[in-house]
Amino acid sequence: MVPPEYYLVLSSAIFCIGLFGILTRRNALYFLMSAELMLNAAVINLVAFSFQWGNLTGQTFALFVIALAAAEVAVGIGIVLVLYRNFGEIDVLNAATMRW
Amino acid sequence: MVSASAYVPAIVLLPFVSFIVALFGRENLPKRGAYGGIAATAGSLALSLWVLLSVRNGEAFQETYYTWATGVGAQDWTLTFGALIDPLSALMLVIVSLVAMLVHVFSLGYMNDEGERDLPRYYAGLGLFTASMLGFVIADNLLMAFMFFELVGLCSYLLIGFHFREPGPPSAAKKAFLVTRFGDYFFLVGVVAVFTTFGTAAFAGAESFPALAEAALNGEATVWTPGGLAESTWFTIVGLLVLGGVIGKSAQFPLHTWLPDAMEGPTPVSALIHAATMVAAGVYLVARMYGFYVLSPTTMAIIAFVGGFTALFAATMGVVKRELKQVLAYSTISQYGYMMLALGSGGYVAAVFHLTTHAFFKALLFLGAGSVIIAMHHNEDMWEMGGLKDKLPVTYWTFLAGSLALAGIFPFAGFWSKDEILYEALIHGLDEPLILGAYVMGLLAVPVTAFYTFRMVFLTFHGEPRSSLARDPHSVRWNVKGPLSVLGILAVVTGGINLVPVQKIVPSIEGIDFLHKWLNNDWGGIEGLSSHHYAELDPYSSQYLFGGEVPTVLAGAAVSLGLAIGGLALAWALYNVADPDEHTDKLGGLKALLYNNYYQDEFQVWIADNTRAVAGGADTFDQGVIDGVVNGVSSVSLLSSERIRRIQSGVVSNYALLLTLGLTTLLVVFGLIGGWF
Amino acid sequence: MTDTDGSDRASAALAVTALFAVLTTVVVGAAGSFPDPTGFPADASIVHNIGYALFDIGLGEIPAEGFLAAFLIIALALDVALDAAIYLAKREDEGSIVSALTDGGRDIVAGDVAEREPADEGGDR
Repeated sequence: MVPPEYYLVLSSAIFCIGLFGILTRRNALYFLMSAELMLNAAVINLVAFSFQWGNLTGQTFALFVIALAAAEVAVGIGIVLVLYRNFGEIDVLNAATMRW
Repeated sequence: MVSASAYVPAIVLLPFVSFIVALFGRENLPKRGAYGGIAATAGSLALSLWVLLSVRNGEAFQETYYTWATGVGAQDWTLTFGALIDPLSALMLVIVSLVAMLVHVFSLGYMNDEGERDLPRYYAGLGLFTASMLGFVIADNLLMAFMFFELVGLCSYLLIGFHFREPGPPSAAKKAFLVTRFGDYFFLVGVVAVFTTFGTAAFAGAESFPALAEAALNGEATVWTPGGLAESTWFTIVGLLVLGGVIGKSAQFPLHTWLPDAMEGPTPVSALIHAATMVAAGVYLVARMYGFYVLSPTTMAIIAFVGGFTALFAATMGVVKRELKQVLAYSTISQYGYMMLALGSGGYVAAVFHLTTHAFFKALLFLGAGSVIIAMHHNEDMWEMGGLKDKLPVTYWTFLAGSLALAGIFPFAGFWSKDEILYEALIHGLDEPLILGAYVMGLLAVPVTAFYTFRMVFLTFHGEPRSSLARDPHSVRWNVKGPLSVLGILAVVTGGINLVPVQKIVPSIEGIDFLHKWLNNDWGGIEGLSSHHYAELDPYSSQYLFGGEVPTVLAGAAVSLGLAIGGLALAWALYNVADPDEHTDKLGGLKALLYNNYYQDEFQVWIADNTRAVAGGADTFDQGVIDGVVNGVSSVSLLSSERIRRIQSGVVSNYALLLTLGLTTLLVVFGLIGGWF
Repeated sequence: MTDTDGSDRASAALAVTALFAVLTTVVVGAAGSFPDPTGFPADASIVHNIGYALFDIGLGEIPAEGFLAAFLIIALALDVALDAAIYLAKREDEGSIVSALTDGGRDIVAGDVAEREPADEGGDR
C-alpha cells in the first residue's frame, strides 16, 4: 500500500499550487477556483488518513467539506456578481478602499 | 470614657467637610455656606478644648495615622501622616479654632450682610484654610508640616484674590504666593536635608531628628553630613534652610513685602490668616523644632537679630500709613519680629505667650477695623474718619482694649508677653552682643509701636468727623459686635495665664506662671519637648543687672512701660485733638522713604528683573528637556503607527501573501520548538 | 485582465515554495513513524457504511463516528448559501424574480425586460 507520507506531500503540493493561484490571480473566478483547489488538498489528506487508521470519519468529513465548498462557491459567485456591478469588471485588485 | 485622641483627625476634617460642602452646595446653602463653616469650626473648637483638657490630664500623645511611602533598601525612611498632641499643639489648636470660629461669625456681618457675591467660594476657602492650618498644627513630622504649610499658602492666595475681578487683589495674591514660595523653596531643601541627614523628620520621640541631632553633637550617634562638614556647621545650615520658609511665611525681613499687599483681601481673611494663624505658622514651626534650633547658636542669633530688626523696621513704616489695615499689617510684621526675637534669645515660653496674646489682640484689631470699614462703607483712609467712638461704642471700646494690649500697656495682655520677651532677651543678651543688639532694636520699637497704634486710634475714633461718611456711619449688627466682645475680653485677661513678673516680685505668690508650667510638661507632655529641656540645651546663660533677678525684672518692666507710655503720650498730644494735622509731613524726605516701604518692593522687582537669565534657563530645561522627553515618547508612538498602518493596503493578494508568510514562520517556530525537523 | 506583474509573482512564488519546503521537510522527517495502514475489509461496502455513519445507524463493520447532527447542519448551511446567493445576485431596481416567472415569460419576450438593454452589452473586457 502507498505509505501516507506520499499523500501528505501530494496534498501539500496541491495546497501550495492553490495558494499560488490565490496570491497571483486577478480574475475573481480564477481566485475562487484556486480556493477550491486548496480545499481539495485538505480533502485528500482526510481520505488518506481515513485509510491509514481504518476509520470512516475521514471520508465522511471529506463529504461535508465538499458540500461546504459548494456552499462557499455559491456565496462567492454572488459576491463576484456584486463586484462586477460596482466596478464593471471582476479584477480583485479593484476593491481596495478598505485601507489606511 | 472615650479618649480625645480618637477625635483628633476630626478636628482637621470638620472644616474640610465644610469646604467640600461649600464647594458643591454653591448657592443653595443657608447663608451661602456660613452656617456650615460656623458649625464646623465650633465643632473643631469643642474638640480642641477637649484635647486641651485631656493633655492637662497627662494624655499627650503622638500617633501615626497613615504611612504613604515606605523606603526600600538602604534608605528605610517612611513618609507618614500623624498627629503630635502635646501642650504646645493643644494650645495652638484652641487658638486657631477659636479665632476661626469668631471670624466665621464675623463674616456673616462683613460679607453676607453687605451683599457680597460668590460667597460659597469664600466660605469654601475659609474652610479649607482652617482645615490646613489645624493639620499643620497637629503635624508630627516635618514633611507633613511642609505639605500643610504649602496648603495654607494656597488658601491665602485664593482668599486674598477673592475679589478677582478688580485689578488689585489678584496681583496681591500672586505676590503673596510668590514671595512665600521663594522662602518655601529653601524650606523644601531643608526638609530633604533633614531626611538625608537623620533618616527621619519626626518632631518627637527618641528617634526624632532633634533628639538625633543632640546625640550627634554629644558624639553618641553619627549622622550623614555632606563633604565631611562638621556636624554643628551642617545643623546650622539645615536650620537656616528651614528658616527660609519661616521668614517667608511669618513675613520677616526681607520677605515681608507680601503682607501689606495682602490687605486687599476681605478683612475677616486678614484677621484670620494674616494676623492670627497663617503668619503664626512660621513661628510655630520654629517652636515645634526648638530642640533642633537651640543646638546651633549661630542660627539662634540670626533668628533673634532678624526678629529684632524686623520689629523696629516694620514699626517705623507703620507710622506714616493712611489706611487702617495697612497700619495693622505693619504692626503684625513687627509683632512677629518680637516673637522671633524671643525664640532666638532662648525665650521659648515668652514667644509662645506672645503668639497667644497677639493672636487674640491682633484678630480683635482687624475685626474692629472690619467693623469700622463696614461703617465707613469700605473707605479705609483714616484721614476721612474721626469721631466714630460715639457712634460705634462696642467697636471703640474693644478696639481700645486691643490697642492697649498691642502697645504693651499694663495690665493688658500685650504688656505681659512683650515684657517677658524683652526680659529674656536682656538677660540672655548681656553676654551676647548680637542678642543685645536685637534687644535694643526691640526696645526702640516699643515707643514706635505705641505711637502708631494710638495715632491709629485717635485718628479713627477721636476728634471731629472729617467726612460725611464718618458723620453718618453704617451700623453694625450682633454678628460683628459678638466676636469683637469675646476677643476684647480675651485681650484683657489673657495676660493672666503667665504673670511671671508678679511671681518674681512678690515672693509669697507661687505657681501662677501657668504657661511656663504648661510648656514645661508639668501636667504631662511628650518627653523631650519641654521648655526646661530646651533651656538645658540652649547656649545662653542668664545674667542680671543691678544685683539680682527682681531688680532686673522691675527695671526692664519700667523701661518698656515707660517707653510705651511715652509713645502713647506723643500720639495723644499730636492726634487727640478735634482736627489733627498730618504731623508726619514734618519728617520730610524720611516720610517718603517710610511711605514707600524703604523701596523694598522696588528692590525685589529689580532683583527679579535682573535674574531673568536664571529663570530663562530653568524654563528652557523644563520645556526642552522634560517636555521634550514626554513629547518624544508620544511622537515615537505616532510616527511608528503612521508607518506600520500602511500594511493595510486594501489589496487582497497582499493580505494573502502576509498570511502565507505568517503561517510559514509559525510552522517553522513550532517545528523548532517541538523538534519536528 | 492579466495576472499580477513579475515582481509580485516572484514574491508569491517564493512564499509558496517556502511553505512547501517547510511542509515537506516535516513530512519527510516523520516518514518512518507511521504504522502500517489499516485498510478497510475487502468485502465491506464503503458507501453503505458512510450512509450508516451519516444517519447514526450502527449497522456497518467499519468503525466511524456519528455525523447526524453535522448532516442536518450542513443541509441548513446549504439552504442558507442558496438564499444568500440569490440575494446577492438580485438587482435593486427590479421586482422579485418570482414575479418574472409567473407571467409565462411575457415580460421577457415582449414586456419590460425586453425593452431594457441586454445585460451582456459590456462583454468581456
